[in-house]
Amino acid sequence: MTKTRPSAPFSNVTRRQLMAGAAALSVGAMIPVAAWADGSRLNVRAYLEPDDYDPLDASGFLEELLYGCIYRKLIQYVPGEEWDWQLDLAESIEQTSPTTIEFRLKEGQMWSDGYGEITAEDVKFSMDRHMVEENNSRIKPDLGSFTHVEVTGTYSGIIHLDRPFAPLWTIALPYLAGTVICKEAVEAAGGKITTAVPPAVSGPYRVVEHRLGERWVLERNPEFSGTPADFERVDLIVVVDDSAAEIAKDAGDVDFTSIGAGSVQRLRDNPPAGSRMTVHPALFYHWVGLNVQHPKFEDERVRQAIMHAIDVPSIMQAAFFDVAEPSTGIIAPGLIGHRPETLIPPQADFARARELLDEAGIDRLEINIDVLNNVTHTTAAQVMQAMMAQAGIDLNISVHESGSFWSLGVAADGDRWQDLELTIKRFSMTPDPYYATAWFVSDQIGDWNWEQFSSEEFDRLHDEALSETDPDLRDEMYRRMQDLMEESGGYRFLTHGVTANLFADSIAPATRPDGLPLVQFFRRA
Amino acid sequence: MLQYAFQRVLLALAIVFVAISALFTIMITLPGDPTTVLLGPRATPELRAAFRANMGLDDPVLVQIANFWGRVLTGDLGMDYNRNRPVAEAVFSALPHTMALVFGAIFWSASLGILLGAFSADNRNSWLDRVTGVISVGFIAAPSFVVALYSLLLFSVTLRWFPTIGAGEPGDILSRLYHLALPSFAIGLAWVGYVARIVRASMLETLGENYIRTARAFGLPRRTVIYGYALRLAILPAVQVLGVGIGGMLSSAVFAEIVFSRPGLGSLIYDSVSGRNYPVVMGSMLVAIGFFVTCALIADLVNAALDPRHRVKS
Repeated sequence: MTKTRPSAPFSNVTRRQLMAGAAALSVGAMIPVAAWADGSRLNVRAYLEPDDYDPLDASGFLEELLYGCIYRKLIQYVPGEEWDWQLDLAESIEQTSPTTIEFRLKEGQMWSDGYGEITAEDVKFSMDRHMVEENNSRIKPDLGSFTHVEVTGTYSGIIHLDRPFAPLWTIALPYLAGTVICKEAVEAAGGKITTAVPPAVSGPYRVVEHRLGERWVLERNPEFSGTPADFERVDLIVVVDDSAAEIAKDAGDVDFTSIGAGSVQRLRDNPPAGSRMTVHPALFYHWVGLNVQHPKFEDERVRQAIMHAIDVPSIMQAAFFDVAEPSTGIIAPGLIGHRPETLIPPQADFARARELLDEAGIDRLEINIDVLNNVTHTTAAQVMQAMMAQAGIDLNISVHESGSFWSLGVAADGDRWQDLELTIKRFSMTPDPYYATAWFVSDQIGDWNWEQFSSEEFDRLHDEALSETDPDLRDEMYRRMQDLMEESGGYRFLTHGVTANLFADSIAPATRPDGLPLVQFFRRA
Repeated sequence: MLQYAFQRVLLALAIVFVAISALFTIMITLPGDPTTVLLGPRATPELRAAFRANMGLDDPVLVQIANFWGRVLTGDLGMDYNRNRPVAEAVFSALPHTMALVFGAIFWSASLGILLGAFSADNRNSWLDRVTGVISVGFIAAPSFVVALYSLLLFSVTLRWFPTIGAGEPGDILSRLYHLALPSFAIGLAWVGYVARIVRASMLETLGENYIRTARAFGLPRRTVIYGYALRLAILPAVQVLGVGIGGMLSSAVFAEIVFSRPGLGSLIYDSVSGRNYPVVMGSMLVAIGFFVTCALIADLVNAALDPRHRVKS
């Protein structure tokens, strides 16, 4: 029996094979291992970069996306289909008089980084600083008639208003202005949070790193006093373009993203494997506005003729890809003040429009419309141009970039505001009707009320509805206000649009009724 | 050479000064209050006034331009009042990403383009030359944003070879290169064609020169004559074009950075222009124009160093 000498490991590997193997290993090393393949990492798309960690500088939902993860509030929105709030830091909170709200905090709710327990002093500090003029808070208007917080104990306090302010419950306390930050940490930082990561957080996640222009890296906050977050790490990734975000979702680089309305039908017909899509009615409102003070439109019949000549369903089909519903006003379904229907049906009535023009003694009417240079509004204007010709109205379209467009109706920026005729605009919205009507009071002429609509009844109702705490009465007031807008002939309401979300089926996202994500409540499926 | 370099540097500084001052004037005189776009409808008149004062928008245009240059000369690019951070912080954190993207694209496109051009010239009128010509023109004709989208769909979504977004993990060079591959491919592809065509034409001209004939007559190997002597001179026009082409690449970088969701000067300029964030627009444009002019200057100096005729002519 012959014994062969055992060969050394890899002795039969040639030099060429070894080099090829090394090259393959190198390439393999370049491909990052899916370190979070167990699903403990969540990548959420942000369509722009949030400004910073300080609520004083917050301007909208992008900051809320971040703040919701790292900070807490007395109350928070309930995820789901209906607008409601739930207790967060507060153990109890109650409107004890039209101008006072008493709250008591849960005990044992902790700040990170050794800043101790969350107390009523933190709530007072967080809300009162918005009222200090030098602080230049951008969200001060959200607090309405709020004056100050009175601390009555370590965990209790009273929120004082100088007159009743119903929106406090819908857009102040559960949103940006209600964000509670750590008094001791912020004072130590000089009164403003300008550090690379926030000095103290209280939410389910804490900031590890901010890569400018790219992403915010968060990780689970071990000192969070609520139910621990499901994800070890959350990346809020800045993806500006909708198509790029959709591709990133397809490739698995993003777990949750909003997508453009143009993709909804295609994804409904061919849903991508391992993904789900949800479509929510948004809160925004798009409308065609007409400057009622313009000499061309002095005759109310001319204004009404124009309104009758705008075919909203055609605009929905061409500009909103047939996924959005025509709106009945500026207040979305589900909110106080939503109207079931418009006074003028959404379908155009060209015969009626022609009849009104004939009555006004106009054979051919030439009018101008100014729109922002986005595809949705330019398409809507082109549809209007094609359809209105049937009623004898020639529409000229002027397209503007954002800076130029948003100054068109502003008196401080020149005389153009007086010459405006028609515009298409979209305003953002919060879940309280006051936020929608605030831009159309007489005081806003020369600022945001480009239609120059002025109604004493509207102004009075807007003022009264702010203080009205009976939901039914408020509902009636806001409906009447939208009737007044429509009766003026200055408004053709288009739609609220939709928010469509595409996400991996391995996660259970939580969203507000308008589809905006509440990442702090996201769970693994 | 020193005098030539000095003249070029002076010219570069003048270009930066004129370009930025003109841009500043155009931007400031555009209709509309930037604070309206910047702060949105909720901003109170007091807040808008405070922003206007902070940004110096109430001063006359000439004073604003003088203030801007005064700050720049002391190394201060101003303050981004929207995000409460120095403009320099935003700009200089974005710049390395754009430089990596642009130089990555130049590196691979120039390497391949020079080889293809030299190969085509060496095999003039062969079927390989014709195929290379068709490919080159095809590359030139492909817009970078279309290449970016389709390369994403093919290499990231279908094949899953590359990531779709981001710039990679900081401090991890392999991750950075991995995230850089597809964007630099997208913006560099057209330049392969340009460089190949330029090098081919230049090589054909050079191969007809007397010194090449002499080298051949002395019996030097063909490869040495072509790649050692002829190519050295033939790539000069390509170097010049690449130097100026940095400007084009910066424009393509805007698309690439948006499509691939990468941080960088392009996306910073896009965001700040859309948001009328003037201090950031000015700071980032100053750096972008400075970067472009520096690259063009380096290309000039390299050309002068490689070809003395160039500096004598200049």
